[in-house]
Amino acid sequence: MSLRQLLIPLPCYLGPLGLLRRPLWFPSTVGSWRAQSSRSQSHWNQVVSEAEKIVGYPTSFMSLRCLLSDELSNIAMQVRKLVGTQHPLLTTARGFVHESRHNLQLRGLVVLLISKAAGPSGLDTACQNDDMVSGIYSCQRSLAEITELIHTALLVHRGIVNLNELQSSDGPLKDMQFGNKIAILSGDFLLANACNGLALLQNSKVVELLASALMDLVQGVYHENSTSAKEKAITDDIGISTWKEQTFLSHCALLAKSCQAAMELARHGAEVQGTAFRYGKHVAMSHKIHSDLQPFIKEKASESATFNLNSAPVVLHQEFLGRDLWMKQIREAQEKGRLDYAKLRETIKAGKGVTSAIDLCRYHGNKALAALESFPPSEARSALENIVFAVTRFS
Amino acid sequence: MATRWWRWRWRWRWRCGCYWRPAARSPRPGFPGSAGLPGPRAAADARAQMSYFNLVKSITSAFQNVYELSRFHHTTPGVCCRSKIQSGEQYTDPFKLGWRDLKDLYEDIKKELLISTTELKEMSEYYFDGKGKAFRPIIVVLMARACNIHHNNSRNVHASQRSIALIAEMIHTATLVHDDVIDDASSRRGKHTVNKIWGEKKAVLAGDLILSAASIALARIGNTTVISILTQVIEDLVRGEFLQLGSKEDESERFAHYLEKTFKKTASLIAHSCKAVSVLGCPDPAVHEIAYQYGRNVGMAFQLIDDVLDFTSCSEQMGKPTSTDLKLGLATGPVLFACRQFPEMNAMIMRRFSLPGDVDRARQYVFQSDGVQQTTYLAQQYCHEAIREISKLRPSPERDALIQLSEIVLTREK
Repeated sequence: MSLRQLLIPLPCYLGPLGLLRRPLWFPSTVGSWRAQSSRSQSHWNQVVSEAEKIVGYPTSFMSLRCLLSDELSNIAMQVRKLVGTQHPLLTTARGFVHESRHNLQLRGLVVLLISKAAGPSGLDTACQNDDMVSGIYSCQRSLAEITELIHTALLVHRGIVNLNELQSSDGPLKDMQFGNKIAILSGDFLLANACNGLALLQNSKVVELLASALMDLVQGVYHENSTSAKEKAITDDIGISTWKEQTFLSHCALLAKSCQAAMELARHGAEVQGTAFRYGKHVAMSHKIHSDLQPFIKEKASESATFNLNSAPVVLHQEFLGRDLWMKQIREAQEKGRLDYAKLRETIKAGKGVTSAIDLCRYHGNKALAALESFPPSEARSALENIVFAVTRFS
Repeated sequence: MATRWWRWRWRWRWRCGCYWRPAARSPRPGFPGSAGLPGPRAAADARAQMSYFNLVKSITSAFQNVYELSRFHHTTPGVCCRSKIQSGEQYTDPFKLGWRDLKDLYEDIKKELLISTTELKEMSEYYFDGKGKAFRPIIVVLMARACNIHHNNSRNVHASQRSIALIAEMIHTATLVHDDVIDDASSRRGKHTVNKIWGEKKAVLAGDLILSAASIALARIGNTTVISILTQVIEDLVRGEFLQLGSKEDESERFAHYLEKTFKKTASLIAHSCKAVSVLGCPDPAVHEIAYQYGRNVGMAFQLIDDVLDFTSCSEQMGKPTSTDLKLGLATGPVLFACRQFPEMNAMIMRRFSLPGDVDRARQYVFQSDGVQQTTYLAQQYCHEAIREISKLRPSPERDALIQLSEIVLTREK
């Protein structure tokens, strides 16, 4: 029985580390990679669990080192003090625990799959100990872990609150200050671990790629924060091309550059690196649009559900309609200063925004598939294709 | 001796504008808390384990002869290093010497911050306004030149070494931005902090951004050894911040904890960036160790004096409010030393000065004790060690400037 076969029956694809990981809630990832309607959910789970089998086990030992450190137990202890406050870090943390079943470390998974799909380059790897498990170098596994660490760190840093904007409903100022403190420290801790892991890879090109991915991500989060501020969201006027630029920074750059770095670690040339970059970029883009579309295509959307006014269908809707008409529609959907999302959703669904967002999603899906064509057929390549099929399916 | 001692203490009190108590306490022998310095070198550890009594003796004897002559006579009585150094060269201002290689330092840092968004760029550049001391970049370029001259008499600074100076300043600034959010600080370097102007949410991102720009610059140097060396700094900085969260029950453990935190939060960056430029300039591991030890010791002294200034300096001088450490619940060197004389401070330290009046009472205890002086002595010990290390390099104006810089660290008032 191979190691791979041994690992497959484990309830959690994270392998032995997963057991440790969940109670501590920490270095997991965000739920945004979840498909949302129940039918596509089961399809999605199937795609992912197939993919997980292909890569053997997706984590490296770095997360173990993280988990066993004093700092993490310190964080876990401090977070307990936050229970009962309104700090968003708690929601983020709660998400790690309660939704861990559906929490897919998809970024890491994609990096591993593309590493396997590309295979060895024939040249010596950049890895010092280039032991291969399930066709993936150990340094590529570390890279997958680093990708997740960077993503999670920014997720935590995204949840900082502005102290001067607090409402009385947010509870005592002290709690919020403390929450901020813990959020900064835990985010910094994850970033420091990512830096450490990167240094161990002994490849400055990879360090540069991931550092620039971090820079992109920070800028992306900055845009997202400033557009999601309540009042501003409505008045924000961006076209779809600006939207795509910002979405590239916030959702695609990390995956694209990690995929490229995985190729660099196996000493693949610029061409293969470019292909991997394109796959990462387009699959992330089509996934983002797919999740943006969920509130508009779900059959049983709850009436009160809100949606992001800077999501792809809304931005496209605004572009078709023109700024003035869109502002008029928003005013019409407003009641006593509050936005009636159900009404606005129907208005948007009546326009062309939703269908053209679906088209855009498929466009990026096709680009991702085209990138994969240069890899030889393999089960890893099929898994990468299936991920694209899953995020471009709308029925 | 005794009268000098007396005058010394008096001057301190006078300078600090604090309470004059005629019942000057004699220093207690055998301070056990100074055990165990962090860092790899056992030699330095042994030095620190020296009993307090010996420590005072060695310092006062070293300083006995130079006291009256010291050019820093009117500012700080504790300068004793100069007597030991016979470089024979005319001292120039080390800052001027270092600055020759740092023209456009801030312009070059801004070039690394390739950000399209106006506000984000403005936030990230906020502290690179040329008003900082640029203490770290100066040490780094001086060390680079000292190592290059030592190695092959080269009178150049490599571009990669200069990059380290930029990176050190960037990493430092990134931590300032995050620390200010963590401590909810409202002013730094005489202006508002980033978090007070733009809010906490954006400030944290600005810190991350500066860190990522530093990492990119580091990667572009293309030397994996140097990447590993400076990565260690980032890890130390975070671990130092964690150490600051907790406090230790046991007194001796508490002091070791304080020194470890001081190393991780301040000295590590200086030590490792000194080591990085030495690696880039010279292949000899012995030189790397000298550079590292110089940086570590100067860094420790720098922070110890910083902790002293938090008590003795006024806010206008520092550009930031003083007694901040107490207000944040932190027990620094002066408090820990004072606690040896006033055990009643223990309870205050454990509750992190959280009760009303704790901060003021702790301040009074510190000034009634030898806390400030003893912390200064400890800083002097670190400076001696730094000078001992750097003196192993071949003489050069830069090496002597580094020696002089370690003295300035002791005498600085802001």
